Amino acid sequence: MTDAHFSVSSTGASAAAVAVHPAARPKMSARNLDFFYNGFHALKGVDFDIAEKRVTALIGPSGCGKSTLLRIFNRIYSIYPKLEAKGEVLLDGENILDPKYPLNRLRAKVGMVFQKPVPFPMSIYDNIAYAIRHYEKLPRSELDARVELALTQGALWGEVKDKLKQSALGLSGGQQQRLCIARAIALRPEVILLDEPTSALDPIATGKIEQLISELKDHYTIAIVTHNMQQAARCSDYTAFMYLGELVEFGATEMLFTKPSKKQTEDYITGRFG
Amino acid sequence: MNTAPHPGDHIVKSYDEELKRLTGEIQRMGEIALTQLNAAIDAVLERDSDAALKVVQSDAAIDTLEHEVSHDVVRLLALRQPMARDLREILAALRIAADIERIGDYAANVAKRSIVLNQSAPVQLSYALPRLARLAENLVREVLAAYRDNDADRALEAWTHDEELDEQYTGLFRELLTYMMEDPRNITECTHLLFMAKNIERIGDHATNIAENVYFLVHGSHIGQSRRKGDATSAILPIDDPR
Repeated sequence: MTDAHFSVSSTGASAAAVAVHPAARPKMSARNLDFFYNGFHALKGVDFDIAEKRVTALIGPSGCGKSTLLRIFNRIYSIYPKLEAKGEVLLDGENILDPKYPLNRLRAKVGMVFQKPVPFPMSIYDNIAYAIRHYEKLPRSELDARVELALTQGALWGEVKDKLKQSALGLSGGQQQRLCIARAIALRPEVILLDEPTSALDPIATGKIEQLISELKDHYTIAIVTHNMQQAARCSDYTAFMYLGELVEFGATEMLFTKPSKKQTEDYITGRFG
Repeated sequence: MNTAPHPGDHIVKSYDEELKRLTGEIQRMGEIALTQLNAAIDAVLERDSDAALKVVQSDAAIDTLEHEVSHDVVRLLALRQPMARDLREILAALRIAADIERIGDYAANVAKRSIVLNQSAPVQLSYALPRLARLAENLVREVLAAYRDNDADRALEAWTHDEELDEQYTGLFRELLTYMMEDPRNITECTHLLFMAKNIERIGDHATNIAENVYFLVHGSHIGQSRRKGDATSAILPIDDPR
């Protein structure tokens, strides 16, 4: 052991964190966001950014508002009455909560994948083509190419290319979830929201989805809600910890899981939450 | 916040018990190392070869505990997937165990050399050697107490004291060099004493490592200053050279 062993640096860790997380521009931002379920105050003054072409994870105990927050990002709540959002959610600087913001445009830009895979009861091919047809009229050859591209990006093409006409319901759970991701990608969205995408999957299927997420982030902005903290640590660049409708802490994933600044975060991620 | 609560209150209680077991093993290792160091120094001062031999033989107990710590750390990492404070606790345990193991080795080395030394006529033992040894012992005691209490301030305080130890070592080095120059028949004994002093000085360095790990464990960051080094022996010339 040399004397160099004793030279300690206070800047080493933060310098490494900067290298891993070069500054990214916010793609979506919540500004002073409040949300009410039939009068229940589910989100309280949340300010939060989703960085472009990065993976942002939302963690927190059940009922903390993380799924609610995710669902506001593509206004999926608006199909239910008596739900109300106050504040702003910006997508490239435009407030998507503004009723004048066209919902069709929003849904094309911000795709969503849910906890349980929900393939449409139709063929694998049509599951992908259905959404594309809804937005665009394409010649058959182009549509084929788009379906193939989406399935390839969804890491499913190799497994389904010979059975595109078969029902999507015959696929395994993991394959169905990748089909749902492929279906979201097919519309060439800019943001993909994943709401506990692997909680119903086995570890191998989970691994495939996590690998897929790391490939997709080169092209898409991704936000993922997960109960699995190791998954958040493995997949994401930034992590937000929420509790009782408030954003407790938000920062680089590496920092949040090694040296959180708030005691509540520390207690949650180390399994001390009472 | 310079101290942090002892790990506890996990929802899964067995996790608490495993962490407690780990920190308990480190404390036990530390206590044995301190006893060993103390016994080694006494053996030197009293020219007691039997006691020195006992120190050499007892080193195995520290090694055994270090293996247990390594085993427990691997198990905790694999089975609990620790995060944040828990992760630092476990990493610090692994590093501190390695430092204590080295401290034990150095204490045994000192004892081993004292057995050889006892076969020669008594040399004029300077006051500096026991003083150096007691300083090292206090430093080890302080950092182990800081670890036990999760007390980063105490660790930091101890950390700064290693300089004193280094200065004592430099003084002793000069003194032994003088004896050797005065009478070359002293060279064998003085060389052994020099190595013993170096071992004790290294114990101080490992104690500062422990202090750094206690600080890291509590704060999650490293001590943000370079420690001044008091060991200037590498610059000492063999004679008062007028060059």
